[in-house]
Amino acid sequence: MMTRLLTLLSTLLFVTAAAAYAQEPFPSRPVTLVAPFPPGGVADLTARPVAAAMEKVLKNPVVVVNKTGAAGAVGMSFVANSKPDGYTLLLALSSISIIPEADKLFNRTPAYNMTQLSPIALISADPTILVVAADRPWKSVKEFVEDAKRRPGEISFSSSGVYGTLHMATEMLSHAGGIKLKHVPFGGAGPALTAILGGHVDALASGPAVVLPHIKAGKLRPLAGWGAKRVAALPDLPTFKELGYDIEFYIWAGVFAPTGTPAPVLKTLRDAVRQAVEDSEFKGAMAKLETPIAYMDAPEFQKFWDKDARMLADAIKRVGRIEEKK
Amino acid sequence: MLTRDRVAGSILVLLAVVTAWETRRLPLGTLHNPGPGYMPLLLALILGLLGALVVLRGGGSPPLRALRWSEAGHAVAILAGCAFAAVALEQLGYRLTVIVLLAFLLGVMERKRPAVVAAVALGLSFGSFFLFSNLLRVPLPRGPWGL
Amino acid sequence: MVETLQNLYLGFSVALTPSVLFYAFAGCVIGTLVGMLPGVGPLAGISLLLPATFGLNATNAIVLLAGIYYGAMYGGSTTSILMRIPGEAASVMTCIDGYEMTKKGRAGPALAIAAVGSYIAGTLSVLALMFLAPPLAAFALRFGPPEYFALLVLGLLVLAYMSSGSMPKALAMAALGLLLGMIGIDTMTGFFRFHYGLVELGDGIGVVPVAVGLFGISEILLTAGLPTPPAVHKPRLRELLPSRQEWRDSAAPIGRGTVLGFLIGIIPGSAHIISSFVSYALERRLSKHPERFGHGAVEGVAGPESANNSAASGAFVPMLALGVPSGPIPAVMLAAMMVHGISPGPLLIQQQPELFWGFIASMYVGNVVLLILNLPLVGLFVNLLRIPYPFLYPAILAFCVLGVYAVNQSVVDVWIMAATGALGYLLRKFDFETAPIVLGLVLAPMLEMSLRQSLAMSGGNYAIFVTRPIAATMLFVGVALLLLSLRPLLTRGADWRRSVGLEDKRALGEENP
Repeated sequence: MMTRLLTLLSTLLFVTAAAAYAQEPFPSRPVTLVAPFPPGGVADLTARPVAAAMEKVLKNPVVVVNKTGAAGAVGMSFVANSKPDGYTLLLALSSISIIPEADKLFNRTPAYNMTQLSPIALISADPTILVVAADRPWKSVKEFVEDAKRRPGEISFSSSGVYGTLHMATEMLSHAGGIKLKHVPFGGAGPALTAILGGHVDALASGPAVVLPHIKAGKLRPLAGWGAKRVAALPDLPTFKELGYDIEFYIWAGVFAPTGTPAPVLKTLRDAVRQAVEDSEFKGAMAKLETPIAYMDAPEFQKFWDKDARMLADAIKRVGRIEEKK
Repeated sequence: MLTRDRVAGSILVLLAVVTAWETRRLPLGTLHNPGPGYMPLLLALILGLLGALVVLRGGGSPPLRALRWSEAGHAVAILAGCAFAAVALEQLGYRLTVIVLLAFLLGVMERKRPAVVAAVALGLSFGSFFLFSNLLRVPLPRGPWGL
Repeated sequence: MVETLQNLYLGFSVALTPSVLFYAFAGCVIGTLVGMLPGVGPLAGISLLLPATFGLNATNAIVLLAGIYYGAMYGGSTTSILMRIPGEAASVMTCIDGYEMTKKGRAGPALAIAAVGSYIAGTLSVLALMFLAPPLAAFALRFGPPEYFALLVLGLLVLAYMSSGSMPKALAMAALGLLLGMIGIDTMTGFFRFHYGLVELGDGIGVVPVAVGLFGISEILLTAGLPTPPAVHKPRLRELLPSRQEWRDSAAPIGRGTVLGFLIGIIPGSAHIISSFVSYALERRLSKHPERFGHGAVEGVAGPESANNSAASGAFVPMLALGVPSGPIPAVMLAAMMVHGISPGPLLIQQQPELFWGFIASMYVGNVVLLILNLPLVGLFVNLLRIPYPFLYPAILAFCVLGVYAVNQSVVDVWIMAATGALGYLLRKFDFETAPIVLGLVLAPMLEMSLRQSLAMSGGNYAIFVTRPIAATMLFVGVALLLLSLRPLLTRGADWRRSVGLEDKRALGEENP
């Protein structure tokens, strides 16, 4: 008897509480921004200023939580499968488009589908640049490509992992230039950079911010950039498009919400991000990271994302399954 | 003739066989270009060989019956507590989970007085949460009602 | 030399300002607290607290993080010695002899020696860092995949010296650990291996939950249900300090551990975890009474703890000298610098002398602070052991869950901890050693990846291991060591194994079928 009464009371309490929650204006609880990479990585370092700026705009706590693993798949699938109420957001890099494609390639159930996530806004888009170890002879892309044609499969490049963004960027170059390079994957962008600095590989495609100090110190030589425009910090560096290769690749970071989030909530979030990128503290933080802000609101971002995803999907299919190429 | 080492060794051999079977889906590659299945298969073979070695040398070890399992019941209960913690941590939040865990271990398993159990459970759970989550900003999960 | 001293003076003038001292002290305290959480080691510590530093200025932030880093290393050894719970993967070896010392009532001396050894190692390695950073860093960068592979093979040989019981059993455990390390995404081809649909296993089974489970949880499982709770040893004040004999025994291991740890630490990558394993094996090999290892030999605490700490400083060498992210921890420190607008690179020392020398000086200060903090605390910690075991172990369990969860915010890790706890319980019942599993788990992914990377670099040619000088030398040394250790086996048979304490004394007495 007592048990039943208790159960009834608790159910009533829960229902009332849930109803109360449902009717409160968004946001009324802390919002979680999931960064699917470990602290100190690009996603994390971008997420924190974004969260701080959004907090100011929304006047509501926005907390960054790192959910790492599987090159970001853990965090991304976590958000993709979470409740679409606007309280769980994702700050993802361009690798978001790669993971489902790679899963398809291996006939695995994908950790998540890109349709499960709706873009809110693009925050930054760093064009990758190609650097070679300073003691190697190539001084321009032309020399590099010619040498690669003469010795196919001998010039080596490092990357953050198979099917990672850095691998895909280099793959697109190989395809556009008709050359074959030797790929040595590493377990992350850090080890990949260490490898080229130690002279163990010849080339690396990388985001500009991390390699800039080494370029200035003369340890690495940049050959060209994958952006449509030249990198601000390296005004003399030509872009691949200028040199006649039709490739474009950015390591971008954007905010996503699970698909199915109600439209008014989405609008609040979009407005919040739009105002957040105008915040002076945010701009200062991004400037310190040497990451230019490249804001795009949801509709343009969706188009950008679709185009980028298609490009990456093509590159992944071209690369195919590694061990089948021997 | 069932000695401790023979049983253990046999289990290892079994594990090795199962693992080797599981690697069948992974491409092996060649010696010069090992694929994802190469090292696992190699290691499974080594494990199997070593397991067999343990079985062969296992005649000298104490018989299986000689093993004492007196604390096993307690151990199983503790493991159940850990499993509960794993399940409940993100559903109930840190504090509630720890309270239940401690109440179970102290109250049910160790049969301490309820007042003591309550004090320790509440104190430890809230205290550690305050220290690590509030002061040190270590993110800990919160359950319903923000607990 | 004079210039270095001048710079150091500059560094100290930066480091001894009140605000920097405050942050160094705060970092040490926070680090110790965080490090005492089972499983939360230096990497988890600075990752978790990195966001808290964003509001500070650059030097304060870096000093705070460095303090947390060191503090976590010191804190990790406390739980290892007192409760056999590794504070982090590298403290696993300290658990073995440290806990045995605790059981004999020598917890105080163990903690004290660990603290002093860490202090000496930390200070000496910072000195080495200061004077030798640039040339060492250039040398360290020459470690590519082939050299890494050779180093890890040497690390595998360590396994032979780690076991006190039957060799096939220890090797089987190592093989098991190596197999466990195969779980996860294969970096070279992108295949998922043995993950059974769990995306969280993509990076493999974490070392931390396995170490905490195999050592800490299994100990609780074995002890909690015993009819008579373990005897509580109430130490007298005099027993808190190491005896003269213990000091004498520790001196050489501390020295060797410092040098060994530093050399392993400067190598880019995560190899510095094995520094404590290698130190343990070295001390055992060099000891005149190797059968004491595993039963409370103080050398088994002094050596690994010193190696740990100097490896930690060594890890900063490539980072500070060349701006290379030479491992996860330096990568986080580099990120911290970037957030504060400092771009680390080869010119860091020239461009940011206050930061560099302030950092070095704060490491000295940090080591001193931690020694001062930890030595008096030894008495406090040992008194913690007087809490009756039925109250103690639930609290420990709760903290284990907390620590293991906090590292990755992942419930899967808690499951792994529970599962390996059960596994450890069974293994110890069946008289298997658990330390080789941890070593295998740590080595396996790196070993396989560097082998395949080397083959990728050479196009499938195994000759790369002999054509590159550093790799060839290390492999040669490894083979030589192996042959040397086998030679007595051939000439004198079982006597050799008995003399290095590798025979299980119990097994010798049993011959009943």
